[in-house]
Amino acid sequence: MTDIVLECRKLWKVYGKIAAVKDVSLEVREGDIKLIFGPSGSGKSTLARCLAMLTMPTKGDVFLTGECLTKPGVDLNKARAKIGFVFQHIWLFHHRTALGNVELALRHVLKLSKEEARERAMRALREVKMEEWANHYPAQLSGGQQQRVGIARALAKDPKIIILDEPTSALDPELTGEVIDTLRDLAKKGTTMLTISHEMPFAREVATEMIFFDEGTIVERGTPEHFFEHPSSERAKKFLARLIKRTRRE
Amino acid sequence: MEPIEKLLFILAGLPTTLAISILSFLLGMIIGIPLAFVRTYMSRPLQVLVDGYEKVLRGVPEIVTMLFLYFGVGSIPVLGQPFTDPFFAATFALGLRSGANQSQVFRGAIRGIGEEQMLSARSLGLSRLQAIFYVIAPQTFMIATPGLGSEYALLVKDSAYSFILGVIDMMRKADTLRKITYDMVFPYTVTAFLYIVLTFPLATYLDVWGSRKKKQLGL
Repeated sequence: MTDIVLECRKLWKVYGKIAAVKDVSLEVREGDIKLIFGPSGSGKSTLARCLAMLTMPTKGDVFLTGECLTKPGVDLNKARAKIGFVFQHIWLFHHRTALGNVELALRHVLKLSKEEARERAMRALREVKMEEWANHYPAQLSGGQQQRVGIARALAKDPKIIILDEPTSALDPELTGEVIDTLRDLAKKGTTMLTISHEMPFAREVATEMIFFDEGTIVERGTPEHFFEHPSSERAKKFLARLIKRTRRE
Repeated sequence: MEPIEKLLFILAGLPTTLAISILSFLLGMIIGIPLAFVRTYMSRPLQVLVDGYEKVLRGVPEIVTMLFLYFGVGSIPVLGQPFTDPFFAATFALGLRSGANQSQVFRGAIRGIGEEQMLSARSLGLSRLQAIFYVIAPQTFMIATPGLGSEYALLVKDSAYSFILGVIDMMRKADTLRKITYDMVFPYTVTAFLYIVLTFPLATYLDVWGSRKKKQLGL
């Protein structure tokens, strides 16, 4: 049981009268690549943010490498430093170069020396093949390049897990490829990942488990083979059929 | 008096005018920045308090604030002592109002940056204060630069009110010049020109610099 990196138990997030996440339990083990998919507005992003404690869950518990994050008095900054988070809309810091974006947390959260932070940031940029663009500002980069910097920024801290919230869905279709390639590289290196994504070829190739999420809760979970060959729930079947049709059109 | 002598006579007040403008600008910044962050990130009652401060300081004519500080606050024993100095009272009055103005300038800039940058910073493990310091504040300054330029220009102009308290600034020198030379045109024409020279180039430069920076960074 010790290899569980991130886990949530009976997690709820309620906004007013609307429950965005309902009673969700799941666990991510070391080396796992969990892929969450489902209709928009189903609460996937909220779940991802709750797992990273960027949004406070209303009820239930989140554990990071065995430490409960949902009890009072936990240093959440320290916990977040161990989680890499990649946003759908990227959200790089506009006033800092690619390198500056990656360096920031290394300098001020991990408290590395200037040289050490620079070296590690460059290494992270190299991993996403953005080394040559280190001194460019986000506005000077394409969406795909920006997202690769976003991944490098999350990766550089050497997190226990990377959570990605639809990392390619805000990009033009021709730019998703380079980001998917980057994620595939990470997967091959054994990076523990939880990603929300509708990139089905990617899912089939690397996911250790797929989770179909709808109306705030897990409807069905299984291996890619399970989902692509014989999904059991009607909702998952329909959703997948639509997705695959759309992928073919593109 | 030769024109050049008249000009030098007025220019003798320039350092004082600049000192009042710059010091009140800095005081305004020291007041305005925290207020802007309070109004953006703090609890409702604190926001209402800041809002009240802004409304009062922006609503009262500058000259009333100056006279109030100089005579009113100045009449308080011990604590009011510094305000009996005309230069101090004038600078402080301008600084208080500039704080209200700059709070609004910075608040607009913070709002322009949006919650996303904060969330993004927090996701890395930065504390709220670190996020403000390393992520929000630098961008805020860039966005606020054009607004700060106009605020500086406003302070240079309004520093002229301080002559009411007896501060010997450019305005006072011009007035004295009129009295001793009986020249009704030259002193005020030249002074008007000098105020434009002090305000226009810098305000324009900051406006252009800020707009270019914003465009370059996609802010």
